Amino acid sequence: MSVVIVMKEIFNKKILIVDDETELLKLLKNCLLREGFYHIYTASTCAEASIIQHENNIALFVLDVNLPDGSGFDLYRDFKAVTDSPAIFLTARGEDSDRVYGLGLGADDYIVKPFLMKEFALRVLAVLKRTYKINGETVCIQLSDRKIDLDNAVVNTPTGETALTAKEVMLLRKLNENKNRIVTNDALCLAVWGDDYYGYENTLMVHIRRLREKTEANPSKPRHIITAKGLGYKLVIENEKNDY
Amino acid sequence: MKKTIIKIYFCFIIISVITSIILLILNFLTFALTFSDERKVYNATPQKMLEETVNAYENGRKPDIPDGTWTILISTYGNVIWSENMPEDIPSSYSINDVAKMAKWFLNDYPVYLRTEEYGLFVLGYPKNAVGKYDMEYSMAWFDSLPQRIVIVFAVNVIIAAILACMLSTGIYKNIKTVMLGISSLRNETPLNLKEKGFLRVVVKNMNKTSQKIQYKNDVIKRRDNARANWIAGVSHDIRTPLSVISGCAEELMTNEKLTADEYGKLELITAQTMKIKKLVGDLNLISSLEYDMQPLKMTDIKVCFLLRHVASDIINSSVNADIELILNDENAVVRGDEHLIERAVFNIINNSVVHNESCKVTITERIIKSDNLVEIEIRDNGTGVEKEVIDNIGIIPKTAHGLGLPVAYRIITAHGGNFIAENDNGFCVTIILSCK
Repeated sequence: MSVVIVMKEIFNKKILIVDDETELLKLLKNCLLREGFYHIYTASTCAEASIIQHENNIALFVLDVNLPDGSGFDLYRDFKAVTDSPAIFLTARGEDSDRVYGLGLGADDYIVKPFLMKEFALRVLAVLKRTYKINGETVCIQLSDRKIDLDNAVVNTPTGETALTAKEVMLLRKLNENKNRIVTNDALCLAVWGDDYYGYENTLMVHIRRLREKTEANPSKPRHIITAKGLGYKLVIENEKNDY
Repeated sequence: MKKTIIKIYFCFIIISVITSIILLILNFLTFALTFSDERKVYNATPQKMLEETVNAYENGRKPDIPDGTWTILISTYGNVIWSENMPEDIPSSYSINDVAKMAKWFLNDYPVYLRTEEYGLFVLGYPKNAVGKYDMEYSMAWFDSLPQRIVIVFAVNVIIAAILACMLSTGIYKNIKTVMLGISSLRNETPLNLKEKGFLRVVVKNMNKTSQKIQYKNDVIKRRDNARANWIAGVSHDIRTPLSVISGCAEELMTNEKLTADEYGKLELITAQTMKIKKLVGDLNLISSLEYDMQPLKMTDIKVCFLLRHVASDIINSSVNADIELILNDENAVVRGDEHLIERAVFNIINNSVVHNESCKVTITERIIKSDNLVEIEIRDNGTGVEKEVIDNIGIIPKTAHGLGLPVAYRIITAHGGNFIAENDNGFCVTIILSCK
């Protein structure tokens, strides 16, 4: 399935935004419409939101916490009883305890006001992509003249195909999730070897060296898997930025 | 506390035993010194009076003896040959048996004292019931074992005194225990409501009153602190939504393609300043929560090197110009603390260096001070340094627009019982010292 079709499906998803500040509601709706979403519903109260949720198949809830007729946390709990759709809390409550509570309820993201509209749109997109990943969509990374197919664990080079090991795929996935950003050695080891990762730093170096041999045209002068001295590694993909 | 009470209890027992023994010795000496009070009946002793009687008889004069006393001289044949004040019920002749009966004892219930001379036996009599006489006899074996007896009596006395002190001081122990409990509660400022009884009831009553006063004052302070912190939390909450509208409007206006570069720049400035206010509000909220102990620390084991690498990566990821070098000497360093807060403190310090200095290098050095079981994190930059006023007042919320990054970091570290040393040394340098787990 092509990326264009997948994205079109995502932009067709219905999003419900609940906030008692009507000016902010307008701004959020406009922001998402500008980004290409078509079906944006807004509500100022829990009661309104419940009616909209009941009448529509909402794909994503964006909920304020302090609402005139109840709490956004309680509202999400009610929604969760009838739907598996993801939720993002968008609230002025910035304390760690609130953040932990909101995420603990099962919310997919927690944004503290004020926020950048662009960031909000990107977070909405990220949650939708993560939740509604269409079957058949493959994750591919293009590094110069080499294309890496992570689902099939192969690197397509001009001269042929090279297989990737399971650990190498895990490393590449973690690096790709944070493309163009440094990922620490600890985070990489944690992703590959789990909690008991301590002492795997040297093994990680060996895996990275082998990965470079498969993905870089010149492994001794890597252009894509870059070492951040003392910190970790960065997957550099030109003309692309991370979602956040 | 229990140790102290037991110490007091034992001290009391020892003092009681020592007091008993001293009293025992004093009583013994006093009793021994006043063993006979025969001198107290009349001014002279019987022996003196007998001597006076002998002298008077030999000189043919009347003896000088007190009223009520009498004297007789019995010849070697048993007849009274001389007398003075002799009562009527006293016989005038005596057999050897009569003499043996009265020797050291009584004659017709009159206490008598004897003195022998070549020509007869002088008898001095006291009035009836004036003196009591008891005969005491001991074997030589008794005298030989006297030192051992004294030691045994002494030891038995010590034991009895100790047992009695233990039994009698149970009440004192309970009273002291109550008072100690009260002192402990007062020190911890926990509510106190002790039963006001026993010989220390006045002390306990005062302690209860003091506790009530402390509780009242703490309640007032807590209410005031809560009001302050809640006010700050409320303001920070209420300010966030309008800020969202402001930045949202600015961002929406920025989508207008007809804007001039100047207008676009101003809108960007509005957005950036909104985010700055957001950070300030968040910092102010945190600092007030830490100030009034309203921020519960979620204590976990933190791998220091993991945290430093994570923070450094985050800063490098968000700021292209950040030049950060990590020198991590002890990979195993673990501290106990609130990971999110410690991360925030370290982030604030490094970010301050990166944001406030152009082309500045930040060096982070981590090491364990093994002798004191501490972890030292030194964050040093080669920038222009920080104003002295900021360093001097790092522990208080600044009144001027210096930002809250460093005071927040300071509060977080001190809330964890750590040391926070900030100084200008060819740039700005912060040393954080935390207890190693």
